[in-house]
Amino acid sequence: MVKRAASTILRFLGIPLVRYVVRRALYLVPLFFGITLLVFAVERLAGDPVQIMTAFNPNITGPQRTLLREYFGLDQPLHIQYLQWIRQLLTGDLGNAFVIGGGAEVSTLIGQRTWPTLKIQLTGLALSLLISIPAGIYSARKKYSALDVAVNTSALAGTSIPIFFLGIVFILAFGYYGRLFPPGGAASILPSDYPYGSAILDELWHMTLPTAVYTFAILAPIVLLVRSSMLEVLRQDYILAARASGLKERTVIYKHGLRNALIPVVTYIGLYFGGILAGAPVTETVFNWPGVGQLFVSATSKLDFPVIQGIVVAITLMTLAANLITDIAYAYIDPRIRLE
Amino acid sequence: MAPLMPSLTSQRTRPRGGVSQWALAWRRFKQNKAALAGLIIVGSFGVLAGFDRLFALYPPKCILGLNAQCPYPILFPVRDPPSPATPFGTDINGYDVYSQVIYGARAAFFVGLGATAIAIGIATLIGLVSGYYGGNVDNVLMRLTEVFLVLPFFLILLVFLKILFFVNPSATGGLLIVIVIIGVFSWPGAARIIRGEVLRVREYEFVEASRQIGASGRRILFRHLFPNVLHVIIVLTTLQIAGSILVEAAVSFLGFGDANSITWGQQLTKASEAVKEAWWEGTFPGIFVTLLVLGFNLLGNGLRDALDPRLRE
Repeated sequence: MVKRAASTILRFLGIPLVRYVVRRALYLVPLFFGITLLVFAVERLAGDPVQIMTAFNPNITGPQRTLLREYFGLDQPLHIQYLQWIRQLLTGDLGNAFVIGGGAEVSTLIGQRTWPTLKIQLTGLALSLLISIPAGIYSARKKYSALDVAVNTSALAGTSIPIFFLGIVFILAFGYYGRLFPPGGAASILPSDYPYGSAILDELWHMTLPTAVYTFAILAPIVLLVRSSMLEVLRQDYILAARASGLKERTVIYKHGLRNALIPVVTYIGLYFGGILAGAPVTETVFNWPGVGQLFVSATSKLDFPVIQGIVVAITLMTLAANLITDIAYAYIDPRIRLE
Repeated sequence: MAPLMPSLTSQRTRPRGGVSQWALAWRRFKQNKAALAGLIIVGSFGVLAGFDRLFALYPPKCILGLNAQCPYPILFPVRDPPSPATPFGTDINGYDVYSQVIYGARAAFFVGLGATAIAIGIATLIGLVSGYYGGNVDNVLMRLTEVFLVLPFFLILLVFLKILFFVNPSATGGLLIVIVIIGVFSWPGAARIIRGEVLRVREYEFVEASRQIGASGRRILFRHLFPNVLHVIIVLTTLQIAGSILVEAAVSFLGFGDANSITWGQQLTKASEAVKEAWWEGTFPGIFVTLLVLGFNLLGNGLRDALDPRLRE
């Protein structure tokens, strides 16, 4: 029985793609521990959390601080604290908040806020890919045309405008003056304010502005990347060969060109997914959106270390997951990579 | 010490009538209108930042009529719309928005140049050493780089700043703290690119030749590899300046920046509390940040096109 299971696993590992994915996944494990160590070090370098949090509170005495330290396990040696934290992490326990939610479980706090954040992030990412890839391809094919210049210029402007300023402009234009969309929040307070009395429409209605800002922010760098990468690919000999063999222009561009031009785009998304997520505090603050980013800002303002650690670890895990998906996408797009 | 091989050292001077690589790059740069626009934007903001007192109407943080430095005996109401005396209106404190925006330029340059100097300094060192020595050195340095790359740096930045300003609220030179922290955390992307370029350059024969005649590792690194990856470093520097200015604005916007400095991010924070009541308070600093960052981005892209040897025809 064991032998059969082992041989099944071995046969499974014999598939190059699987072996590749497993190798990549194993590689992420030390990376994750490196990051947890760094996060832990950063926070402890900052000083004793109890001292920091109670520094300006004259009502708290020395013995009370000692009690607090014992309560939060801060009296243990550093390496024990780190190991305890890691052991908790591995069992999925992120501990309890110091103050937020009256000391609620960090995993619950993050769990409640994950969906609102992912909702606008993923919609924004999907929309920006839908727009940026065709726009980038068009721009590359019609190099220096009026539309190319327009696409290029607006993409550059898009990478230069601070995302919160864009948010403020959108709120002003569409929220206050245009009165088309609500200027903030994730839902109407009263059900009677729902458009056509529908909760789903209300949700979409509130999502529109933040998602639009996200889409624009992610869109701009990707358009530039697709354009330059496509220009590079279209110069290659195999494109000339494909054209010479009489293939339709559409096949040449989308089948032979795009597949190769997408490799740097996939890298970019994988690499910067963490950056995109970490950008959440800014947008969510502008739109008063009840997501992880807003939770992080309030946790940082209150120096609620368990919540801060929990969010950093959660985002790191998501980034690593995105990296793994990127690796798989690589192997799918470019078969040469599997063989390395 | 007299040079052992005078014939070699004398060859370092360029042959007469030749054109240097930098002159060639400048020739290409001049033909690029977008790049020139970037240079002009950055240049004008530089002048603005250098001579801010000449361009501003009032001294910094001048509450008209209350502050002894302010020459006019009028007190402007807070959040007053644009008028001839205050072309961009006044903000929540009754400061002239136009003057405050002008003073913000200097802070933006401080942040951009300071944070970038630190980040690109670290990135260059790590990229050169990692790319040239390879092996275990490369392995260790690149794993470290990956940790920093995956780390949500913006979040860590906020925590750091919060703690620093919490422990020492009246921190003098608070902007310097912001600059150092942005610099220390934003090098990994650039380090990887520089390493990649070093890996390419170190395969050239002239590097091998230099090693054969007994040049030390440090000499090869700084005399041979560094000048040949300089074009990448210049481009990264320009783009990093743009990025650092944006990061400072975002940090200030969330309320974790240095409240004592006059920066565009600080102005936007206050403005965002009354978007509806006083549109002028945030619009002008916002436009200025966008313009300056756009200038650096255009300049960086133009430099890349002018300096990249692979794009030469």
